[in-house]
Order: sequence, then structure tokens, then C-alpha cells
Amino acid sequence: MYGGGNTFEGIKSDELTGEDPVKLAEFEARIERGEKIEPSDWMPKLYRKQLIRMIEQHAHSEIIGALPEGTWITRAPGFKRKMALMAKVQDEVGHGQLLYSAAETLGKSREAMIDDLINGKSKYSNIFNYPTFTWADCCFISWLVDAGAIVNQLANAKGSYGPYCRALDRICAEESFHLKYGHHCVIYLASGTQKQRDMFQEALNRWWPPMMHFFGPSDKISVHTEILMKWKVKMGTNDDMRNQFLDMYVPKIWELGFTIPDPNLKKNTETGRWDYTEPDWEEFKRVINGDGPCNSERLEVRRIAEERGRWVREALRTAKTEYVTPLA
Amino acid sequence: MKSLDPRVSRLPETGNSSPKVPLDQFGTFEVFVQPKEGKPFQHEGIVHAPNLEMAYVLAKEAFTRRFTCISIFVTETRNVYVSALTDGDEDAYDHVTKVASTSGKETFEIFHLLKRGKQHQHVGKVEAGSHNEALWVASQQLRGNKQVFNIWAIKTSGIRFTKQEDLDLWNTLGEKKFRDAAAYKGGDKLKSFLEKTAQQ
Ligand SMILES: [Fe+2]
Ligand SMILES: [Fe+2]
Ligand SMILES: [Fe+2]
Repeated sequence: MYGGGNTFEGIKSDELTGEDPVKLAEFEARIERGEKIEPSDWMPKLYRKQLIRMIEQHAHSEIIGALPEGTWITRAPGFKRKMALMAKVQDEVGHGQLLYSAAETLGKSREAMIDDLINGKSKYSNIFNYPTFTWADCCFISWLVDAGAIVNQLANAKGSYGPYCRALDRICAEESFHLKYGHHCVIYLASGTQKQRDMFQEALNRWWPPMMHFFGPSDKISVHTEILMKWKVKMGTNDDMRNQFLDMYVPKIWELGFTIPDPNLKKNTETGRWDYTEPDWEEFKRVINGDGPCNSERLEVRRIAEERGRWVREALRTAKTEYVTPLA
Repeated sequence: MKSLDPRVSRLPETGNSSPKVPLDQFGTFEVFVQPKEGKPFQHEGIVHAPNLEMAYVLAKEAFTRRFTCISIFVTETRNVYVSALTDGDEDAYDHVTKVASTSGKETFEIFHLLKRGKQHQHVGKVEAGSHNEALWVASQQLRGNKQVFNIWAIKTSGIRFTKQEDLDLWNTLGEKKFRDAAAYKGGDKLKSFLEKTAQQ
């Protein structure tokens, strides 16, 4: 699971000064040729910094994203759904592991990343700050939030940083199960009783605004990322990703007879893109900065897990092994 | 904490939001996977673990839950001796120089990176007295006609290999169909639903 719309830091104009122009040109030529950058290759400081930030946010999103779905494991309807949801949540946590490893190759330790998460310094996908009231909310996440994540992940898998791309290839292979499982759940709700249909419609109404936020602020107001696009750190604009998601999934939602709570949502036949009501970016900012319905709960759960697991880590720790930056 | 999740509501409050106490981290271990009989072991990624045995268990969890796998091995990252990464048409073996043979030979596993952006693959074993000598012996015995971008040498004695009793996990992978996309075919249900709604 992964929220796009990474919050990239604004890039200051002096961040590339001081880089060796010859090395920078070689680095850019390698990316231009479609080759991957490996951890031991030279890279600009700005590339390293923004990649760490992006991969780390992605990893946190997998870990935090496991919480709103994980809460439904014990209450999933029936044994089969429980098994599947358990496997899916386990996958998401595994994705976190793979992504932390990829970020570590850039020189930030996993411990530092976990610290930054539980101290509120690092961000994660905003959508997981919303609660899952019913089983239908959980199904919305499994199908549509994962669908959004897949749009991002498939694009990012073609990026320039080798370890991140390899982690994403592995992740995308598992996501196909998540997507099919999620769609399966929603088909069953859609073709069930009126009460089941209403339950999913209500979930859809709740989750649509955060789903539109998921891909990040509109291109009109987001920070300039041209250099990150050139370096294949960011693989598409937020609006492009959002549009791709709408293209693929709005017809599938309509097919099931559900309505989407946006009267302005329609495909513009002239531009070939979707028109929609501009999402409330003030709300997005407010929630990402900590004031959403579940922000404090999400972090507190991680903090408690960290504290309650400490004795285990201490008991297992030996002086014989040593933390070193992973190789690839 | 008041939560929709009963398990969260039951958690004891920690009552403090002070930063986590720094804890020395676990070691870093590299994981290699053999997908099929006759295929080489390939580097897959890393795990963190307090010891080699735990690293092996975690590696199974992290890397072999889905794809076919018949064997894995793990070793501490610091046991991996890494040659320079080369570029263009430069071969990593061109930088390997002759090392005087020393006594006290040990076995080393040798890995090649044949394409930038891909992962290292196991190519064979050599006997040598040091890592440097292992690279030299490999250049004599294991260098093929394909260009090699990077070479790894790992002491065989530092590797946790797969034992007979470890195989259960992979033998039962086929039974765990509920984790495959193919187990969630909603097409028929969807079709009959659409037909029903079309009639109404
Ligand atoms: Fe995921
Ligand atoms: Fe997900
Ligand atoms: Fe997922």
C-alpha cells in the first residue's frame, strides 16, 4: 500500500551548486540512457536526500497502512476473508521491510527512520489517518486504495534508483493479489443485500475525498519537481497519476451501480482527462500536519509496539553482529 | 486510547511521548535465493537480525513467501567482499591483480553481476587464503566470456545454508492458494449481477 503525492521538500536554488559538473553530467547521462543508479555510484546530494525521503515515506505508508485494515482481521466475514486479509496485511508489512532496506542503501539507518516516524518527523500516506468504521471501509482500502498505490508503484518501478526499483518489482507482484481480492470483496457487497450495498456506498462516500488527496496536491500548487522528474525520482505529476487512476477505476465503480460523491466528475471528451471538483487541499494539509481523525492513534500504536517490544530486542541483541549499510 | 479498534482501546497507555531510547541495531544480513533446480542462487536483498539463525528465518518470511524457491542462504553483510563496480565495457576482473598464494586455504563462494540494475548471481567456489586471493583465483577459474560489472566473494564458512528440515515452508506453498490473485475470480458473480440489474 502506498500513498503517492509524496511531500517533496521544496528545492532551493543553491542545492546543486558545489556538485562536480563532470560527475553530474555522467550521472544524468546514465539516467538518460535508462541505466539504473546503484548505491556505490556517485550521485548528487539532492538526489540522495529526496530519494531517502520518498522511499522512507513509502515504507512508513506500508507499515501504517497495515493498521486500518489489520483492525478488521478478527471481524472479517468468514474464514476465507480472514485468511486473505491476514495474508494481505502480512504482505504490506513485508513491503515496508523491503522499502526500508532500499532506503538504507542510501545511508540512513532503519532505526533513524523508525525514530523519525514515531516522533512525527517523517510523513506517511495521508489516507491512513482516516478510520475504517465498517467492513466496507476495509474493502474500499483493499480494492481502491491499493489500486491507487499500484498506479504509483508501477510508475516508480521504472525510476532510476536500482534498489528501489527491484523492491517495487517484488511488491507489484504481490499487489495483484491485493487488487483482485479487494475487487472480489466489493463485487460480493455490490451483489448482496440492499444493506450490504448501502454499506459500501457509505464507505465510498467517506473515502472519496481522501482518495482524491492520495495522489498529492494538484500540479498547480505543488512544489516544483522538474529536476526530480528529469532524474527519474518522480515518474509522473500528481495530476497525471490521479487521472490514470480515475481512468481505470471510475468505470469499474459505476459498473457496480455505485455513485461517486462528486457531481462534477466526468471525463472531458475534449481534453481526454477527468474533470472533478477541486479537492480540499486545506483539509489535506491540515491532516498531513497531524490534525486528522487518526493521526495520533496511528503513531501511538507504533510507539507502544516499539516500547513493548524493547525487552525482546534487548534480550536478542549481541555484540557479535553489527549494523552496516546494506549492499544492494 | 479510544479507538474503533478494540485491540487498540485495550493497549496500556505509555503516557510518554519522549523519544525512543537509542538501541544498538541488529546486524545486516544478505539473502540469496535459488528459485529452481539448476538455477543459480541470486542475491535478493537484506534482513536485520540478531544472529545468523534468526536471519535465516526472517529471510524465508521476507523473500520466499510467494515465488517458487527451493533453497536460500544468508550471510552477514560484512562477510561480503566487494570488488569495484565498473562501467561501460570495463570488466571488474581487469582490476583484479595477482596475489601470492598463502597457506591455510578456505572455500569462498563467488558471485557475478552481469548486468547493471540486476542482482548478483552465484557462479561457483574457489579455494584461497584471503578474499583478494579468492578474486584472483576466480579470475583464473570462473571468468566466462560475459562482461562482469562487479564480483562478490563470501567465505563459505560464514553462510547459513538450507537444511533438509527447512524445506517444509516451500513444500506447502502450493497449498496456500488464498494468497494468489487467481483465487479471486469475481467475473461470474459480476456477470450475473450485471444481467440481473439490466433486467430491472
Ligand atoms: Fe503494499
Ligand atoms: Fe496497500
Ligand atoms: Fe497492497
